[in-house]
Amino acid sequence: MSVNSISAKIARTASRCALLSALGLLSAPAWAHDTSSVAVPIVAQAPPAQQAVAPASGIKRTPAPPDAYCYIGWPNDGETLHTRHIKVWFGTRNFGVAPAGVDKANTGHHHLLIDTDLPPLDDAIPNDKNHLHFGAGQTETYIDLPPGTHTLQLLMGDANHVPFDPPVMSKKITIHVE
Amino acid sequence: MRRIVGVAAIGLACCTIWGAARADEREAAPQGATAYIIWPSDGAVIPGGKFWLRMGLSGAGIAPAGIDRPNTGHHHLIIDADLPPLDQPIPNDKNHLHFGAGQTEVRIELPPGKHTLQLLLGDANHLPHDPPIESKKISITVPQ
Repeated sequence: MSVNSISAKIARTASRCALLSALGLLSAPAWAHDTSSVAVPIVAQAPPAQQAVAPASGIKRTPAPPDAYCYIGWPNDGETLHTRHIKVWFGTRNFGVAPAGVDKANTGHHHLLIDTDLPPLDDAIPNDKNHLHFGAGQTETYIDLPPGTHTLQLLMGDANHVPFDPPVMSKKITIHVE
Repeated sequence: MRRIVGVAAIGLACCTIWGAARADEREAAPQGATAYIIWPSDGAVIPGGKFWLRMGLSGAGIAPAGIDRPNTGHHHLIIDADLPPLDQPIPNDKNHLHFGAGQTEVRIELPPGKHTLQLLLGDANHLPHDPPIESKKISITVPQ
């Protein structure tokens, strides 16, 4: 995409925003309203693809906008849960969800890290009981945990399960299961 | 030879028609799939009318618009409107917001009054699934 066409898109997006404001009904961000303008502000902020870090592993990480992140909508950090069957809701800000294998800018799929630290960011996220993959584009799950204190963290993977650059991830939260 | 060409032409025409029909065909919904509005809750009173709406989806996945994967779709938020016709692409206007980039939340601002909100999942071509994957239609109030 040329600089000119990005500028033109931003201008179009700005005019859409102005139109929405003029309507006085809604001030949803432009990326929320119209699929054609969805990625424009994000793309403008994202580092160019050719600047992606080439790690020693040889795996190329997909660039992500610096303001993209995940959050765990439920449970809350520090929550004490009276059930071992726990619903976890995945939140994503300034980023979208796509199934594994779909190579589309500013989208990825969730991985839920349970009782573990972040894996190496320059390799595919492991697939085991501590690293659950949601490659079908899911935005929630149920997990079963034994009583005790546990940690949960979300980490987005790209089409090839590799974390983005910078990583799109949540805070690591702690929950207590009774 | 002419006959072979003729058969091939008919075959190609059939494929084209079938392909066109497929784009209008509603994607089958996975059994039990449902959308729901995580926040706000039904009946919520929201002073100022500005809030983040969080979109929930059970039993199906999110895929951006244009991505044709079974058991996936993208969210549409219907504001102050009834469900659109289910055999046509969901309209794209101020009452029908599309989240074709795979978003699962949106910042909304609504004027004072009572408003309704409902989610409806659309497939790669913005068509509702069969049966539709929709949320309950909730009501919220923005005080004067």
